[in-house]
Amino acid sequence: MAAERPSVLHEKYGDRFEALARAYAAGQELEFEAELDELLRVRERSLFVEIGRLSRDLNAALERFTFDSRIVDLAEKDVPDARQRLAHVLTMTDEAAHRTMDLVEGACPLAERTRASAASIAPLWDEFRARRIEVRDFRSMLDQIDRFLADVQVDAERIRSNLSEVLLAQGYQDLTGQIIRSVMHLVEEVEQALGNLVRLSNTGEGGGSVVSHVPTDDAATEDVSRRGYGPPVPGVAHGTVVTGQQDVDSLLSGLGL
Amino acid sequence: MSRENTKFLVVDDFSTMRRIVKNLLHDLGYSNVTEADDGKTALPMLQSGNFEFLITDWNMPGMPGIDLLRAVRADAKLAKLPVLMLTAEAKREQIVTAAQAGCNGYVIKPFTAVTLKEKLDKIFDALGTPP
Repeated sequence: MAAERPSVLHEKYGDRFEALARAYAAGQELEFEAELDELLRVRERSLFVEIGRLSRDLNAALERFTFDSRIVDLAEKDVPDARQRLAHVLTMTDEAAHRTMDLVEGACPLAERTRASAASIAPLWDEFRARRIEVRDFRSMLDQIDRFLADVQVDAERIRSNLSEVLLAQGYQDLTGQIIRSVMHLVEEVEQALGNLVRLSNTGEGGGSVVSHVPTDDAATEDVSRRGYGPPVPGVAHGTVVTGQQDVDSLLSGLGL
Repeated sequence: MSRENTKFLVVDDFSTMRRIVKNLLHDLGYSNVTEADDGKTALPMLQSGNFEFLITDWNMPGMPGIDLLRAVRADAKLAKLPVLMLTAEAKREQIVTAAQAGCNGYVIKPFTAVTLKEKLDKIFDALGTPP
């Protein structure tokens, strides 16, 4: 330990030391013993203060260790996972947009064909309603109406089914939304961890307390399994997940459901 | 009671998904459909609303679907309510948990209209509800 400055020494031990020296010079044994004891007590008190400081440092170091290991987890696992999750979100939104556009592109020509057929029948129909249609045109109109009625049923069913598929394709918003929400949660945690790092670097060794919410593993696992994990993401470990509805059905039928 | 008059409650925190399910149910002829955005909102509705069928997501803030399912099964008045889980939760142990908690069907997202129809029909068949 560094030598204490003379003024500190005088302040801390001066009076006692002089009293001790006086008792020694005078050969007063009892006073000498009493002063010696008192000197030792002063020494012990400063030792306790030192031990107290050491224990606080140790505590802070331990807190930092828990906090550091969470940062390591964040950097090595959670952030790369989040990148993969966002990449999956990009893929899903891309697929949903294309699926929707494919379905719309499939439906538009059918609607156009219906419109065109009706438009080509309309003038003949007007002639017919005005009771001045030629027999040849009348036959042609009947043929067109026959085809129109058949086509409309097929085309309208295709359009209806495409629209229903378009509706289902919007399910991506729920699935990607769940993934984005989990990434937002992670960003919040990273923000907190970075804030803590800044606070630590400002306060230096042993100073400042670290606000770190590290849930106990069991509690965290129980909570997430109750709350749900969100959609599985390719390349991100999820344990054993089902591959689709068939897998679910066979699992449930194995359970007698 | 015929199937088409069944009173449905659809619970999902994403309004887009609630709309999708509601529209699909309409397409299948079920027009009596009400929505709720999580278990906490749904439970009092179920307790007072004479619902006959519950379709619920799992992962929701507030009260998750698995807790809603358990609460339904624990309520003497609701214990027999048919419950279909409609969720992206895909862990095998979760599906087992849901089955053990008493769900009547489990549809994994993303799903098709055909799958939804199949599962509904299957549950109605098992309940003996006439088509």
